[in-house]
Amino acid sequence: MRFRYAMVCSSNQNRSMEAHNLLKRQGLDVASYGTGSHVKLPGPSLREPNVYDFGTPYKQMFDELRRKDPELYKRNGILQMLKRNLSVKLAPQRWQDNAGDGVFDVVMTFEEKVFDSVLEDLNNREQPLMKTALVMNLEVKDNHEEAAIGGRLALELCQEIEGNESWEDTIDDIVAGFEKQHRRKLVYSISFY
Amino acid sequence: MAAPVAAAATARTQALSLLAAANNHGDLAVKLSSLRQVKEILLSLDPSLSAEIFPYLVELHLSQEILVRKSLIEIIEDVGLRMLDQSYVLLTVLLVLSRDEDPIVAKKSISAGTTFFCRILEEMAMQFHHHGKVDRWFGELWTWMVKFKDDVFATAVEPGCVGVKLLALKFMETFILLFTPDGSDPEKFANEGSRQMFNVSWLAGSHPILNPATLMSEANRTFGILLDFIQSAGHFPGALTIAVVSCLAVVARKRPVHYNTVLSALLDFHPNLETVKGCHAASVQYSIRTALLGFLRCTFSPMIESRDKLLRAFRAMNAVDVADQVLRQVDKLVRINERAARESWSGKNNQANHQNSWDLSKKRIMPQGEDDTINGEVASKRLRYNTNIHLTPQVQTRDSAHGAIYTNGISSVNHPSDSELTPVEQMVSMIGALLAEGDRGAASLEILISKLHPDMLADIVITSMKHLPSSPPTLTSSLATPVDIVVSSSINSINSPTPPAQLPVDPILPAGSSFSDGPSLNSAIADPRRDPRRDPRRMDPRRLNSSTGPSLPVGEGKESVLLQMDISTLSSKPLSVPAVTAGAGGSIHPTTVEHSEKMVTGSSVIRINNHPDCRDDLLTVSKESLYPSKGESSLDVPLSPCRVDERIGETRFSGSETNFDLDMVSVPNFDQHSPPSSVPDFDRHLPSASTISAPEESYRELPSVPLYVELTTEQSITVRKLAIERILESNRHVYGFDYNKIRMALIARLIATIDAGNDVATILKEHISVDHREFKGHDLVLHVLYHLHSMAILDTDESSPYDTVYENFLIAVARLFLDALPASDKSFSRLFGEAPHLPDSAIKLLDELCSTHHDAIDSERVTQGLGAVWSLILVRPNERKACLAIALKCSVHSEEDIRAKAIRLVTNKLYHLPYISEHVEQFATDMLLTAVNSETNLSQTGPIAEGITEAKSQTTWRSDSLWSGTSDIHSQKDLQTSRDVSALSFSEAQRLISLFFALCKKKPSLLRLIFEVYGRAPKAVNQAFHRQIPMLIRELGSSYMELLQIISDPPKGSENLLTLVLQILTQELGPSTDLIATVKHLYETKLKDVSILIPLLPSLTKDEVLPIFPALLNLSPDKFQLALAHILQGSAHTGPALTPAEVLIAIHDIVPEKDGPPLKKITDACSACFEQRTVFTQQVLAKALGQMVDRTPLPLLFMRTVIQAIDAYPTLVDFVMEILSKLVSKQIWRLPKLWPGFLKCVSQTQPHSFPVLLELPMPQLENIMKKFPDLRPSLTAYANQPTIRASLPNSALSVLGLDNGQDSRSQMHPSDATSSIHGAALT
Repeated sequence: MRFRYAMVCSSNQNRSMEAHNLLKRQGLDVASYGTGSHVKLPGPSLREPNVYDFGTPYKQMFDELRRKDPELYKRNGILQMLKRNLSVKLAPQRWQDNAGDGVFDVVMTFEEKVFDSVLEDLNNREQPLMKTALVMNLEVKDNHEEAAIGGRLALELCQEIEGNESWEDTIDDIVAGFEKQHRRKLVYSISFY
Repeated sequence: MAAPVAAAATARTQALSLLAAANNHGDLAVKLSSLRQVKEILLSLDPSLSAEIFPYLVELHLSQEILVRKSLIEIIEDVGLRMLDQSYVLLTVLLVLSRDEDPIVAKKSISAGTTFFCRILEEMAMQFHHHGKVDRWFGELWTWMVKFKDDVFATAVEPGCVGVKLLALKFMETFILLFTPDGSDPEKFANEGSRQMFNVSWLAGSHPILNPATLMSEANRTFGILLDFIQSAGHFPGALTIAVVSCLAVVARKRPVHYNTVLSALLDFHPNLETVKGCHAASVQYSIRTALLGFLRCTFSPMIESRDKLLRAFRAMNAVDVADQVLRQVDKLVRINERAARESWSGKNNQANHQNSWDLSKKRIMPQGEDDTINGEVASKRLRYNTNIHLTPQVQTRDSAHGAIYTNGISSVNHPSDSELTPVEQMVSMIGALLAEGDRGAASLEILISKLHPDMLADIVITSMKHLPSSPPTLTSSLATPVDIVVSSSINSINSPTPPAQLPVDPILPAGSSFSDGPSLNSAIADPRRDPRRDPRRMDPRRLNSSTGPSLPVGEGKESVLLQMDISTLSSKPLSVPAVTAGAGGSIHPTTVEHSEKMVTGSSVIRINNHPDCRDDLLTVSKESLYPSKGESSLDVPLSPCRVDERIGETRFSGSETNFDLDMVSVPNFDQHSPPSSVPDFDRHLPSASTISAPEESYRELPSVPLYVELTTEQSITVRKLAIERILESNRHVYGFDYNKIRMALIARLIATIDAGNDVATILKEHISVDHREFKGHDLVLHVLYHLHSMAILDTDESSPYDTVYENFLIAVARLFLDALPASDKSFSRLFGEAPHLPDSAIKLLDELCSTHHDAIDSERVTQGLGAVWSLILVRPNERKACLAIALKCSVHSEEDIRAKAIRLVTNKLYHLPYISEHVEQFATDMLLTAVNSETNLSQTGPIAEGITEAKSQTTWRSDSLWSGTSDIHSQKDLQTSRDVSALSFSEAQRLISLFFALCKKKPSLLRLIFEVYGRAPKAVNQAFHRQIPMLIRELGSSYMELLQIISDPPKGSENLLTLVLQILTQELGPSTDLIATVKHLYETKLKDVSILIPLLPSLTKDEVLPIFPALLNLSPDKFQLALAHILQGSAHTGPALTPAEVLIAIHDIVPEKDGPPLKKITDACSACFEQRTVFTQQVLAKALGQMVDRTPLPLLFMRTVIQAIDAYPTLVDFVMEILSKLVSKQIWRLPKLWPGFLKCVSQTQPHSFPVLLELPMPQLENIMKKFPDLRPSLTAYANQPTIRASLPNSALSVLGLDNGQDSRSQMHPSDATSSIHGAALT
């Protein structure tokens, strides 16, 4: 338990929660966030998503969607996902609104936009602690299958970082090795707390 | 009383024992918990008592345990910050630990140290602010902090753990932020408890410990270090580079002063990271993107101004979408804020005039109430506050231009009436502060100026020029530089009715006595009617100045001291004396005098005095020839800028000087701001009306002209060279290095007067070539070139000497680059690309570079030359023709390497250019035709060639009008040889046609010409065609529409080529249906030659192949073999058109007389099949024969094939016997053409054929016996076997002569034998 990890996606529902769940089960110190302005879940059609504020408990969403159209939301896996999520934590959290959660050593994002948002937010904060934070982006499509793969990869990556004495010295090699092994692009940046 | 003391003593004892445990106990957990308890005790004790324990505490830093050392730092941080005054001992340990070998400990101590650093600064500023003095112990702490800073900076640059270096970099960033003035409201720091970071702008000038100017200059230097990091990023791990980029981005966003510098550094950042091991290039690139994105979110004016540049960068990164999105967000926020601002404005209109400096970075609307409290603040703060205002004369105009809201990413509001500190003014104030430093500041100032973005520098000048005095009273004022103008601007703009108040407000003077004047001044300013910015005359700087100028105070006592020192340091009397006189007599501040010289000369007077060693060098070199007097003062004379310029321009002493200085600094921007002074610098030769300040009075006041030394021409040239060397040398001493514009101008003028390109180039060699990029040698060279060029243009003479000087210099520098720099260096191409004019000799040099070729190294030079040619074609329309000629000439160069490179250039780059493509095509066509026609007499050139060339003269191809201009260059020799040598060699043909083939790749319609000329081209050329065409066709790939057209209507004589093309087309991929259709059509209509179909055979179906099969068979044996192979090969989709068995049958189906092919061909074909034993296997033969035997009529060659089969595969014998047996049943003897074959076969296959023989009717059997008498004995013996004999009819026996009925028993045997044979055959 040396490092603290944050998993960040857009809505703190699928990708970040999948990874959160996995890392948590492996005993890593992990939290998860979303950077969007709202939590959006698929609805009956593309134009009618279910929109919630961050902080709305997963349980509440679960109950609401199950009431609305249990068939639909079971079929598209939303209910299962919410059920998983409510076993992990209470409610989706917005990255930008939870600066008080303390210092993370490693922040994983799953989408370039999210990566940009996290970096921008970190850079806009006061940085009095002189503490480095590694921010990494792994592109993962926002569906259940890809999220499962992405979660596993994130776990693997975090375990690799955890295994290193100081990631600052080896991060270039870790990233290059990961890219080579999994044939996926990875980008990292460094920010400060 | 005793109780607390006793308690304290107990606590102390307890703490000491705990410390002992922490030090000595074996268990780490115990150590750590002891330490925690110690911390509790220390925090609970009185500071002085705690301090007694500190020495014991700090011993722990020697502990082996990392965690103990780490805990120690935590304690130091917690305890030390509580009792700063006692923390001296703790800090020393912190310093040691910041170099700890364990990265965790080192990181922790750097972070703790930074906290201390900020805290101590803050406390010192506060204390001084509140009490007007600072405790002595702060001085000691600060000394340690400075040491800490040095240590950490060293960590950042020395090799070591990346993690620690990251923190060191972060500390550098913090340092820069702390000591670079920000535009925020200094009032802020008065609010205790606000977490606002300390800023150097809080410091009043006379702080006893902290010296703002030094600190600022150090911050600038640190900024320079970070920039250097970026420039050499290739050598660092990616993590480090990323951190530097992000630190620079933070600096740029928080201190817009540095924005432009950072931006250009980031935009220019294109390291070759792929080559660096252990550096993740994508991430580094992304960090740049993140930084730029951050800039886009900012709405400070320089950032808004650079939006276009940023967007261009994003376009290059393919990230325009992201950028657009961010821009939309930002614009939206700005609009929201504007609305809020308007609302707030309309409500508070009346009070608004009081408000002045908003905190730009605070991103919020400041409540009006706060403003009232500001008015009640302490006077000294007020002073600064006012200063800010006065340094911003043009704020309002800027505001109105930009819509006035400056946010920092989230939101902000700016009031229309608010003045603000723009980056320019921040810079001005910084420069002011440095000036106040005197000598020490001067060094920093030079660094600062050298780091400044030229645009920024120009802005500073332009800003301050509004306050130029209308009539410069003296030489000194005419020497005025940006900085001194700035200074006067700060004075002038305070157009207050109370003159005594003016001086103290000058921000650069640490004039403590002036504080009391603050409030009254403030009220004067606050009064809108008196606000200088509201004064309409403000728009006219001269007027404003003339009203205030005369009232400027002449130096006070303190300043004159300063002045005296200046004089004493100046050994160059001729220059400095008049300057001083002027300063004393006029109205210019003495500080100005001192500084102005530094600025103007940059390298000459002051510089030289600062570096006596350098002067000594010169002295030894030059004294014999130049200075008979050896006098120190006379030595400086020729080097002072006035003298130099005087000689060059032959102008008067002061007027031109002003002009010179100003335009040097303002060149980058002069078209925007266009004050009269920014006419390009050669205006000295124009009527002097445009010089801004050369009024006649100044002459009267001129001091006596310095001693004039008559020099011979040679001497003066030598002096000038020395001067150049010296100017260059002086640059070496400047950290961070940048030829400033004045130096460049000086050098340019000096070179103009020395007509010796080579010599000068040699002098410049080191400076230009070795560090061409880093030291901006390129700028210098260009500056020189432009200067020379302008001189040449201005010179009305027919043959201006400057033309030669220009040419010599250009060529010399170009050769220098070629000699000294690697071929991969872009300097050469850049030089030619950006030089104002390229003389013929330059083109010639280029030509030589491209087409002379000796070894491998030169091959890179060729690439370099061609690269230059390409860029010149793009950017220099005037030289386009000549450059194109070079490229084309190389594209038919006899060296294959050069040719290949040139062809690549021509086809891939040049041919796309619409204005060139026609020429290129024409040239390539000519070359092709030259090759084709090389054998024929040129007078008989084909119709195509004539059409193209309009053959003016029948003996030359160069008659082409398009090329009349360039053909001189593209080698008459080549053409000559091609004409004279009747038989063209293969390589020569290759040389001439390669370009055309390469062009065909780009424009397939050109292919037709190749087909057209193919028929009449000599053999060597055709060989070359054959060599080239496969590559070409493969390149064209699927886009062979053009090709299809040609195929559908091939020119006469191109059949071979056509076949070749078809072969290539079908070689790797199956032909398209289009192609098949086209070729079939061609075969059916025009070209009856079936061989063109051969390549397509694999893709044809059985039904398509069978009709043409006879025709194929009729081809020459090798072609038929090929066709056969194709047929059997088939395509991946359809499988073979015919199976081998079907092929055999098809061959046999051909009836000689009807279809054409003679019998011989057919038998040959059969033999050909039998030769391929791997394809036509035993099974295949059996299958084919089995099928054919059932045919009626039997194929003519059937028996022949049977015999061949049994020859080839003896094991087929049983099968053959079956066939024969069938034939017997088909009454083979009735087919006269087959019967002999049958007999032959039977005879050959005895004894296996005996049963078959015996099946024959008696007449036939008898016939055979007669024909093959030698068969009889063995057959008889066979038939005589008892089993067989029994089965035979008597007639047969009688034919065999066995009809005497010897053994009736044995009759059973033959039938057994027969059945056994039959049985064997069946198995």
